[in-house]
Amino acid sequence: MALKIAQELRAGNVVMQGKDPMIVLKTEYARGGRGAATVRLKLKGLINNFNTELVFRADDKFEQIVLDKKECTYSYFAEPMYVCMDAEYNQYEVEAENMGDALNYLEDGMELEVCFYEGKAISVEIPTSVQRVIEWTEPAVKGDTSGKVLKPAKLATGFEIGVPIFVAQGDKVEIDTRTGEYRKRV
Amino acid sequence: MVSVPSSSTPTFTPSTPSTWHIFCKVVDNFGDIGVCWRLACQLATRGKTVRLWVDDVSALAWMAPNGYPNVTVMDCAQGMPQAPNGAAWWNWDDIFIDTFGCDLAIDLIALQAIITPSIGQYDYINSPKQPVWLNLEHLTAESFAERNHTLPTIHREGAATGWTKHYFYPGFNEQTGGLLRETDLLARQQVFDRGAWLGQLLPLKQLAFDPNTRYISLFCYEPQALEALINQIANSQTPTCLLVTAGRAAAAVKAVLEHQTRLQPAYSLPVLLSIVYLDALTQNDYDHLLWSCDLNFVRGEDSLVRAIWAGKPFVWHIYQQDDGVHHAKLEAFLRMMEAPDSLKTMHRAWNVNATLDAAPPLPTLDLAQWGQSAMALRQKLLAQQDLCSQLIDYAGSVQEKRLKS
Repeated sequence: MALKIAQELRAGNVVMQGKDPMIVLKTEYARGGRGAATVRLKLKGLINNFNTELVFRADDKFEQIVLDKKECTYSYFAEPMYVCMDAEYNQYEVEAENMGDALNYLEDGMELEVCFYEGKAISVEIPTSVQRVIEWTEPAVKGDTSGKVLKPAKLATGFEIGVPIFVAQGDKVEIDTRTGEYRKRV
Repeated sequence: MVSVPSSSTPTFTPSTPSTWHIFCKVVDNFGDIGVCWRLACQLATRGKTVRLWVDDVSALAWMAPNGYPNVTVMDCAQGMPQAPNGAAWWNWDDIFIDTFGCDLAIDLIALQAIITPSIGQYDYINSPKQPVWLNLEHLTAESFAERNHTLPTIHREGAATGWTKHYFYPGFNEQTGGLLRETDLLARQQVFDRGAWLGQLLPLKQLAFDPNTRYISLFCYEPQALEALINQIANSQTPTCLLVTAGRAAAAVKAVLEHQTRLQPAYSLPVLLSIVYLDALTQNDYDHLLWSCDLNFVRGEDSLVRAIWAGKPFVWHIYQQDDGVHHAKLEAFLRMMEAPDSLKTMHRAWNVNATLDAAPPLPTLDLAQWGQSAMALRQKLLAQQDLCSQLIDYAGSVQEKRLKS
């Protein structure tokens, strides 16, 4: 077991909620007023497959179950499973529901870690930042380089992020996968 | 029973069935206690018995000097007070509302856990017996409010480990908890006489009410654009009276005028501009000020909502956070409001961070267009169920679900 605060949890982590081991399917970090932050967690029980959604303060502590992990690359989707492959060409299937936020950034050959609970592949973990091309956004507006005013933009997966108004379609940007937030244009 | 706000230890009265406990930590300014007091009064108006636990009661002395029937203010500046004779402050069917994540309720639970040890060892899993416990969050138009609204959290440590608390988000659409709005708001507005109210207020400041004067209320922090605003209205051809609220807004205006005097020692206000420094106003009189003015500058959350109900043009000075996240909150609000471009520009200029951002020019005040926008917003939000009603309904549904389970 390891202690983690809610803000550090990511899709694919397994935490103890009460007496139940639960896999984190989705996280959403939100900053409220006066610096208070919350994290919305979508969780699935590993024993009873029960799904639940809870909100925690960003600094609430969790016992995280340390999982075995293996470096892999994403290969293909065979409904309802996502198939990943390690360096020895072993294939591991992960349920679509357990892919969590990784689906927002998934592309062929993407490097990720497959996580195992009691020998079974249950989830994946992706890097904390990725670089992706903006597939769609409204035309860029020159002049405002403060980055304070955001507009919606879509990645190839259809995932929508907020980008500064100077970012144009076709630009490559760096995204924090923990928060889904734009970091910089690359 | 009428309970007048007081800093003394409150008189003990046993908790009546389904008492509502509102917990308020005053962090800065008056927004926290302003919202909590309004909520307490509105719950009481709907027949609820309310205890307002607050760690700094001082602002209530001017904000609500007459108290309110069935609202008892509980001063917990020195921690939660012991109820006499080992009695309980709360019952299992009470409703707890922590406001803005203040977490004071846990102190009251812990206090009672000492008196009644079974609370500390309470088996929440096997029993539905648990007070309804809500966390009333900050107001935002950001979409996460809809997604998080009414979601539970599990208390993870201390006397209430394992207890469920639900997040409750005020907001601007049906997927949220709505806005605080009194049941008699529209009736009060209908009979309100602007001329009579200003006619009483202004002579206290050696001025007379003039229907041809433009009245602007100012409640703000220290906006960088304040000097530009004062210059703009000073140089306009419209007689203008700037009604400045007590505290930070008044200090900010005085600082601007001092700066002008330093730059031009012979500086004096143009004859068409008068500046009135107001005394601290009660919540009701602040409403009257907003209803009376042609343009309202408001700040924080509570006065924003009041400005919306006033239906007059307004400009919001948002609570600034060091990391700039308030910009996203402001933009979400402007999108929700469908604000015209000039009003968006005004808000962005008004909310520039004095130390970080370059000041964009202040647009010309366009009260006609901003007024239409404010009225449209008011109409849209009047159709929404108010926050207090939604809280009562939601707490009732949680209680009912627990009784059935």
